Amino acid sequence: MRPEQAQNNDIELLNAIVARDEGALADLYDRYRIILFGLLMRILSNREEAEDVLQEVFLQVWRRAADFDENRGRPFTWLVTMARSRGIDRLRSLAARERVAIAGARDEAEAISDAASDAFRSEQRGLITNALDQLPDEQKRPLMLAYFDGLTQSEIAARLGAPLGTVKTRMRTGMMKLRELLAGKDASFGF
Amino acid sequence: MGHDDYKEMIPAHALSALDASDERALNEHLATCAECRRDVAEWEATAASLALSVKPMEPSPRVRERILTQIRSDKSVSNVVPFPGAQRNLWNSLGSLGSIAAIILFAALIISVVALWQQNRSLRQQNEFYQLLTEPGSRVAELAGTAEATSATAKLAYNKNGRAILIANGLPRAPQGKQYQLWFIVGNKPPLPGKSFSPDDTGSSTTQDQVPETARNSAVFAVTLEPAGGVNSPTGAIYLRGEL
Repeated sequence: MRPEQAQNNDIELLNAIVARDEGALADLYDRYRIILFGLLMRILSNREEAEDVLQEVFLQVWRRAADFDENRGRPFTWLVTMARSRGIDRLRSLAARERVAIAGARDEAEAISDAASDAFRSEQRGLITNALDQLPDEQKRPLMLAYFDGLTQSEIAARLGAPLGTVKTRMRTGMMKLRELLAGKDASFGF
Repeated sequence: MGHDDYKEMIPAHALSALDASDERALNEHLATCAECRRDVAEWEATAASLALSVKPMEPSPRVRERILTQIRSDKSVSNVVPFPGAQRNLWNSLGSLGSIAAIILFAALIISVVALWQQNRSLRQQNEFYQLLTEPGSRVAELAGTAEATSATAKLAYNKNGRAILIANGLPRAPQGKQYQLWFIVGNKPPLPGKSFSPDDTGSSTTQDQVPETARNSAVFAVTLEPAGGVNSPTGAIYLRGEL
């Protein structure tokens, strides 16, 4: 399925969810579960917590599908932003009491092979990993620490032992390069 | 700080990486700058593409089942009509006393497990409430009881991502088929629905929810009594109300 077609399908599914069509929610779940679960596992490193947050995300979709505004972005962006935000919230709430325990018992949930996901998705993954490989490590690391570990710029500066101003500049430059590198392929990220 | 300074902050905002004071200042600017709001949408799409760099993983099939079970129960709680059972012969029943005893024991076990689970869940949610309060940029709204429940009170804490916990006390028991529901009201727009909840026997409840982005900076929060499972627009009386 091509990106524009997929995006239209997603919007149709969200409209059907607003109309309380549970089959539409099941279809949306089937479409995005492995991407969102992969993201949540990357953030939380714990299968039980990641599954719990994945469930919360789709219950939120069920209750808040009417909040989606296609003028503000694609369904894919909306879903990923929601999942990442909830994942980071859960990470923070676990941090005070369980981070040590989680770190000590990292859940080695098995990643599904690229062959098991469809070719289109693998192609997208290739594009983003190639783009990230082209960023210097000093720009890539702040992005990763912010996106997957939920750290703020001050926390990243402290973690990397770099001045706050330097971190801000590297983060902005890294994001701008990433956007440029993906610009020609933007349609591929439509979902 | 000028428009260009705020524009430079948007990529970090899309990664939720701004420190609390920068985030607050940018949000105030976004409320008045359509160009920067468009930029936010574009940078959020770039940030979201990072999710595709992660290896896809398959969750347990139980997650799908749990989601569908939950939404079905949300839809059907108030529509269940008891099915009349067949008359049973007393003598036949006596023959299965052993089974009855086993069922009673099993039910008692289930009840105690559920009670412990609820107790544990409630403690965990209260801890999360205090955890939320310590996060930079978090906010708390106090809700006061209306004439419907003068002794009711509630606190709604939420962080900059909108993750929220509502702790309510002193609410009357909800009648059969009814639940309380949280609402977010911004300006003159229609209220946005929050989660439904049922207080325990003491009138207390701890509920997790998500404050919509549009309601995080300034909103009225209200709790009404609605059909169980919740509705999309409020229909019942307001029991709690507060604002930021």
